Amino acid sequence: MEKANTEYIKRLSGYRIVEHWLNAVAFALLVITGLSQRFHEYSISEWIILSLGGIDTTRIVHRTTGVVFSVLTMFHIGTASFGVLFRKWQPTMVIYKKDFTDVMDNLKYYFGLTEHPARCDRFDYKQKFEYWGVIAGGMIMIATGLALWFPALVTAFLPGELIPAAKALHTNEAVLAFLVIIVWHIYNAVFSPEVFPLDTVIFTGKIAKERMIHEHPLEYERMFGVTLEGHGQGTPEETTPV
Amino acid sequence: MGYRSGVLTAVCAFFLFSITVPASGPALSKADEMCMGCHGQTQSMTMGNGKKISLKVNATHLQQSVHGIIGCSDCHGFTADKHPSRSFKTKRQYRAFAARMCTNCHDPNKSKVHASVTGRAAPGTVCTDCHGSHTVRRVREMTQGNRYCLGCHERKLRMTFKSGEKLTIHINEQLLNQSVHNNLSCTDCHYGFSSEEHPVRKFKSRRSYSIALSESCRRCHFDNYTRTLESIHFNMLSQGNPNAPVCTDCHGSHFVTSSKHNKLASAKKCEQCHADIYNTYAKSVHGGALIEESNQDVPVCSDCHSAHDITDPRTVDFRLVIPEICGNCHADKGLMEKYDLSPAVVETYLQDFHGVTLKFYKQEGQAKPIAVCIDCHGVHDITKTTGTNTNLIKENLVKQCQKCHADATMNFPDSWVSHYEPNFTKAPLVYLINLGYSFFIPFMIIGLLLQILLHIWRYAVNR
Repeated sequence: MEKANTEYIKRLSGYRIVEHWLNAVAFALLVITGLSQRFHEYSISEWIILSLGGIDTTRIVHRTTGVVFSVLTMFHIGTASFGVLFRKWQPTMVIYKKDFTDVMDNLKYYFGLTEHPARCDRFDYKQKFEYWGVIAGGMIMIATGLALWFPALVTAFLPGELIPAAKALHTNEAVLAFLVIIVWHIYNAVFSPEVFPLDTVIFTGKIAKERMIHEHPLEYERMFGVTLEGHGQGTPEETTPV
Repeated sequence: MGYRSGVLTAVCAFFLFSITVPASGPALSKADEMCMGCHGQTQSMTMGNGKKISLKVNATHLQQSVHGIIGCSDCHGFTADKHPSRSFKTKRQYRAFAARMCTNCHDPNKSKVHASVTGRAAPGTVCTDCHGSHTVRRVREMTQGNRYCLGCHERKLRMTFKSGEKLTIHINEQLLNQSVHNNLSCTDCHYGFSSEEHPVRKFKSRRSYSIALSESCRRCHFDNYTRTLESIHFNMLSQGNPNAPVCTDCHGSHFVTSSKHNKLASAKKCEQCHADIYNTYAKSVHGGALIEESNQDVPVCSDCHSAHDITDPRTVDFRLVIPEICGNCHADKGLMEKYDLSPAVVETYLQDFHGVTLKFYKQEGQAKPIAVCIDCHGVHDITKTTGTNTNLIKENLVKQCQKCHADATMNFPDSWVSHYEPNFTKAPLVYLINLGYSFFIPFMIIGLLLQILLHIWRYAVNR
């Protein structure tokens, strides 16, 4: 895909790259130590748990990583809220009506009903879906994880049935998150023919100009003050927050 | 006497000999033949008390006896010339008089065992009472098998230990024949003893005798004997506690019966030492059914603790196998259906936090405690969980929880969904969450996969 003379445009700050990878490592560790407990009857799970030094160690690793993941998530929400409210950051991850019409437009495009795919801004609906999946799922996991860690504290104020409910929520949400990441995120970042063999943006922070025009035309137009030809009918005005 | 008559006598004697003497046993001497001339026929003697005794001697028996080689006069002192007339008041007096002759040749105290037998015999007992008179045989030929031993041991014999304790070694033949060992002979267990040998052994005490004798059992029951070597009982014994049970304490010695099909009898054995536990057990749902209904499905001591390789149940290692022990019955579908109990109790435990922890502690060889069946249900005092006073059960449960979860409150036990697979009535929240995800996860993943396929398809078409 990438050629030597390709022009690149900066897309992500170093901070976001580090944040992504910290999150990725925490997520992987949580999945490994968590799902091996959930599916403990499989020999691979037994191998993982015993290799980590036993069930107690596995739980210590899981809870410690959970704390790291929680801090990352909370810090992200904190800084994002602060940035949007007081530092005039662009709320680029907010879901608009256009994201739903983009889904429909893209489906039409996939079925060959329209000529062009949806014209997306800085983050397309797939990315927003994943982002909010991580935020919402993360909140669920943090809350239920704490309940499972401190069941006596929770049941001092709340009914006992919340503990098995928290466990059901925690494990089901974990399976869902794992599958979404494995299927959707890894496809989009690795196997999608548009990025194969690897989407390098999350390593370098730069995106090829051509790809940006193709995938984020509205952001490109705003960034360079141009109107792109032959990239659908969408107008930049529609993407500004209401 | 001339030569011819001498020859004639010899010939006649030869014929007489061949006619009268049976194949076995030597011929009677001439003097004895003379005695038999009269005593071979029906004869009797009248005692002072008017009772008669027969004086007839069976020549064949006499010749077959061990004393066939000695003459009548060797014991009786009478000869053809000397046949004094004597009178006795009673038959017993006569027998005592006649038996005195035996000690001329035989020392009754030569063998210590014999001395102890005669020492304990009823007053007035004489040699001929046991050994017979004209039919006397070698002792080892008198009787065969157990009868030989019982010849003495059916009498009220006792042995004395160094400690001064006494033990009756009188054997009840009837009980012996009812035991499972009725086809064994005495010497199968009491090896080292035979009709030839009867070593005199001195033991410190009754207990040390029992311990030593129980070693006999392993000669046949080697598998169970080996198992006991790993038991807490053997461990106590080898550490110098003589009161730790050995084979015979549970199984008995001469009256060994099988309690395989009698669970109560099996439990009763343990009660001998563990009376407190037995009493607690008797009040439990298991013990109650056993004692009141003779229910043979319920566990007795040995079902949980095993019979021979009984390990210390207070160890963490034992705790780790408790769900397996309870699961032997409570995971048995057929058995649980019979009593309208859920066979899922073990599996639901094993899938829960504590069960998973237990499983890995076992695999890791970790001797760390974790809550198992007994922590909520009790041990020997297990009761039904469907009691009327559920609040009380909950209160007791909180106390158990607090052993590990110090800050547990009354709500805490509810966080255990009581062995039920969550359903709409038992744990609706858990059920609904699981139900929701069982639709949501496939919906989401299949949807995303379709998106991916569409994307690839469009990409391929565009190229």
